[in-house]
Amino acid sequence: MRDGRVDLSGRPIWQDASFDVEGGSIAVILGPNGAGKSTLLKSVVGLVGLSGGTLEVLGDAPHRGDARVGYMAQSREADSLTSLTGRDYVGLGYDGRRFGWRRSRDKVEVVERALELTGARPFADQPLRTLSGGQRQRLALAHATVFRPQLLLLDEPLAGLDIAAQAEIVDLINLIRDTTGAAVMVVAHDLNPLAHVVDQVIWVARRQVRSGPLDEVVNETTLSALYGHPIEIIVTPRGRRVIVGLEEEFAHPHPHGTDHRHEDAHEHFAEVYDEVTR
Amino acid sequence: MSVWQLLQTSFVQNAFYAVTAVSLAAGVVGYFVVLRRQAFAAHAIGHIGFAGAAGAVLIGLSPVWGLLAFCLGAGLVIGFAGTDLDDRDAVVGVTLTAALGLGVLFISLYSGYANATYSILFGQILGVSVSDVWLVAALSAAVVLASSGVFRPLLFASVDGQSAAARGLSVRAMSIVFMSLLALTTVVAIQIVGVLLVFSLLVAPAASAEVLTRHPGRAVVVATLVALGSSWLGLFLAVWIGGPVSFWITGLASTLYLVARVVAALRERGRRVAA
Repeated sequence: MRDGRVDLSGRPIWQDASFDVEGGSIAVILGPNGAGKSTLLKSVVGLVGLSGGTLEVLGDAPHRGDARVGYMAQSREADSLTSLTGRDYVGLGYDGRRFGWRRSRDKVEVVERALELTGARPFADQPLRTLSGGQRQRLALAHATVFRPQLLLLDEPLAGLDIAAQAEIVDLINLIRDTTGAAVMVVAHDLNPLAHVVDQVIWVARRQVRSGPLDEVVNETTLSALYGHPIEIIVTPRGRRVIVGLEEEFAHPHPHGTDHRHEDAHEHFAEVYDEVTR
Repeated sequence: MSVWQLLQTSFVQNAFYAVTAVSLAAGVVGYFVVLRRQAFAAHAIGHIGFAGAAGAVLIGLSPVWGLLAFCLGAGLVIGFAGTDLDDRDAVVGVTLTAALGLGVLFISLYSGYANATYSILFGQILGVSVSDVWLVAALSAAVVLASSGVFRPLLFASVDGQSAAARGLSVRAMSIVFMSLLALTTVVAIQIVGVLLVFSLLVAPAASAEVLTRHPGRAVVVATLVALGSSWLGLFLAVWIGGPVSFWITGLASTLYLVARVVAALRERGRRVAA
């Protein structure tokens, strides 16, 4: 992307976004709620058009329906609404866009391969709504990777998972990258579970987008400049990063909360920590 | 006349052919009504059709044309404006009240005998003529054929709209296609069971199927079988014992739904005991 800009209903979401994501690398997209992380993914998949700048996806202009691009949306009606099985859901990833009566011969084989890759086979025949969050994410990953995409876009694949399930999904994302050589872009809330596999960080905040290697972006100088006030990064003994000083935009996961500022520094820290490790 | 002789009369046989055609269409479309949580839209379309029928009678046309015009019109509006779950209910509600208001006006303007509109409300299954049977059969066949042709994309757009859109499907177009199919099915079903009981064929059988099976293709087959079973048996009981056919069909369809819930619950318990 070069000098990319997106406006939604006349309001600029972010602008001057320039970054490259190399094949076979994992880029994590971070930033506060509502900053436009999902919008960034949607612009790559062609669901949201750029209002300015240029974007090239695998050599082409971004367009919907590109089989080389796999996309996993943040929320899926299938998870709660239906008694659809995982296998049928993954099958829709393969031929769900096809009209008509013809069945494809290699569907069973392709779906089976995707289930194998994501380790979703043991529970693929149960209804989605009876599965755990981690199991659903495995099936959603199988759905998104059914065509062995060269670019995999994942919107909050770790949301709502406990720490063990987060670690499993991160390992799986890493495995998919290694076996398929795909470039992966992951929107996340928390850097820590992904930190050991990340090649690149794209930080979206205050209508700006910063991109670079992890340590180049997630450091006090860059983040302080990005937010316009001092940011502190504390590294815990186990190597987890806790980011302090983002009370207005980052520390509070609930934008509709009553009071966004806390006088009590202790409580404030607890909130930040909760956000970062969630 | 014995019940067997009654069953051989032409009006019972016409009714038999008509419920068969309707049940086939209602089974397929009903599956998506339940899957997409659009029972309210199905309910509304029927009532909107009633207003259209009243309007057609007022200007001296057959009620079918009013039904078709209003149901399809409302289907297009709801399909176009109500693509996501959040505002769908409001769109359906506003369209419904607007149409019902017109219906009240049409009926108050009409000074003749309101028998035609009455039969739209409660159905007139035993008054089905041969030409009605052909119309019902043709519309049902069109609905079944079209639904099976768009089955996969409609399923995809219904269960994962975002990813379907990313794969190049238009979620709005699928919503319009679905509402049009629902409108056509409603027009057909209203002739048989009436506005007030359209639900019995559109929602109850598919709801039973969704409780009993997981695979989409199988659910459609089960829904169709439940619809066929309740309408055939309902027709037979009405001829044998008496009482309105729509009462029997509705009663059977709802009872079968209850049975399906009980069967599913027992099966679940059996599985837990086994595990």
